Amino acid sequence: MRNTFVNTIVEAFKNRTDIFIVSGDAGLGVFDEFKETYSDRFLNLGIAEQNMASFSAGLSMAGFKVYAYNIIPFLLYRCYEQVRNDICYQKLPVVLVGIGSGITYAFQGMTHYSVEDIGIVQTLPNLKVFSPIDPIEAKLAAYYSLKSEFPVYVRLAKRGEPNIHKSDNFEITDPQLIEEGELVAIIFHGSIGEEVMKAGEMLQAKGIYPRLISLPMVIPIDTERLFYMLTGIKYVVTVEEHFVNCGIGNLLSNEYAKANPRWKLFNLGIPTKFIHEIKDLKGMREHFGISASKISDFIKQLLIKGEA
Amino acid sequence: MDDLAQIAKEVRRTIIHLAHRSKGPHVGAALSCADILSVLYFRVLRLDPWEKRDIFILSKAHAAMALYSTLHGKGIISDEQIAGYYKDNGTLPAHLDRFTSNYIEVSAGSLGHGFNIGLGMALGFKKKNEARKVYTLIGDGESQEGSIWEGALFAPKLGLDNFTAIMDFNNLQGYGRACDLCSFQPIKLKWEAFGWHVIEIDGHDYEALQSACMENTNGKPKIIIANTIKGKGVSFMEDQLIWHYYIVNDEHKASALEELK
Repeated sequence: MRNTFVNTIVEAFKNRTDIFIVSGDAGLGVFDEFKETYSDRFLNLGIAEQNMASFSAGLSMAGFKVYAYNIIPFLLYRCYEQVRNDICYQKLPVVLVGIGSGITYAFQGMTHYSVEDIGIVQTLPNLKVFSPIDPIEAKLAAYYSLKSEFPVYVRLAKRGEPNIHKSDNFEITDPQLIEEGELVAIIFHGSIGEEVMKAGEMLQAKGIYPRLISLPMVIPIDTERLFYMLTGIKYVVTVEEHFVNCGIGNLLSNEYAKANPRWKLFNLGIPTKFIHEIKDLKGMREHFGISASKISDFIKQLLIKGEA
Repeated sequence: MDDLAQIAKEVRRTIIHLAHRSKGPHVGAALSCADILSVLYFRVLRLDPWEKRDIFILSKAHAAMALYSTLHGKGIISDEQIAGYYKDNGTLPAHLDRFTSNYIEVSAGSLGHGFNIGLGMALGFKKKNEARKVYTLIGDGESQEGSIWEGALFAPKLGLDNFTAIMDFNNLQGYGRACDLCSFQPIKLKWEAFGWHVIEIDGHDYEALQSACMENTNGKPKIIIANTIKGKGVSFMEDQLIWHYYIVNDEHKASALEELK
């Protein structure tokens, strides 16, 4: 989905002279061809994240549509105050393109994971946030970002994720019904989509048909529409490759408390602890209870006991 | 240049009024750069037409009173606006919010931000072939921020000769002198080593300020190290640490305005 997003932006360069990409010395191979063709509007700003964020704000003020590309911790955490003051507070249409969502960078270690970014961007007014499940959602998020007058943050995994959607004819700002189902619904976003789809298949083999809903736009969430989509559902399970205390599970818990709907809400995610485990991505997801089989087991238990 | 002396004096008088009425801090920082801002707004910056205007960014935004007072002197900020400074339901905050007035180009307050935003703008103008210049005022205390040096490393490489930083070098910050707190000196050599065109001047000398702003740099970004006196223009505030945070009371105000007659 990383390449699809970047290629969609690069495609737009053909018709627009106001787009500029800055990278924080990241994106091996992603920009090689592009750098040759549009060398005038690409800049590697080196390993200087604070400067890159403020600099992007300045380029934006001079009239450019700026895409700032980096690994998520170096895009948002290292320079949080620059993103807050210089991009969001000034309300500039800078697009923050973050790579390596969740633990997709396993085995790189905790410094390179981004399991709290949605918690952090919740604190940034004006910022629109996308977490695509597949290249199609990534492409539509790219289209949205090209037109946005607000700052945008797009949370991407790596590359090679399969398409889940069958068509690209939908509104990227809406929650998406991926698969119809009954009794239990799974709400998810980001690269964990793969595991959720597999969990769906495992459950179907046991005669359980969960309703699958993706949230490509995680901030703001159209909760009215989402809650309507949950009509007839008894159990809602959020699944995300993110700390469980500050992701969409947490966002929805707040809304849930206000709306007090007929369904019960359960949140699956990574426990809020520093990750010292040395495992591959598959092993990590299994360990943290967000692999296909763990999601499937959780839902089976839920239906047997009526509680988790 | 007599009229500039008059203009700067009026700016300082407004600063004293604002500091007194608000009972807020930073009067020393504002007085320190009143001459620099007067020269910029009355001699250097092209402000019309709007689309082609030069940009000034007050990166050391705790001196906002100096910018408000200068823009007021220039007729950009109205009497009404300035009357709402630092007030309940007011018009202008203690640190800058760019949505409050035209010509407040950047919202700022935390140090080490405006400088880097200015670099981005300068490159943007170059890429768009616009002959617009970007000026920013940074502090010596502010120059302890890592972000300043991140930007300093990149600007020469990018050929940003449309960018001028002015350092308000009064050698007094919140709780001490830059030159005592860290290995600040030799500051001129540091900027030169980074590849900048460096000019060191008396930051209260109008002619020196103006000609430094105009000086050609042969493709390099410029920094003017302006040696200043914090609290300049009010004898009892000059070079006194307390006037970073101290509040201007009725008595201070009367004596200050007497000196600034």
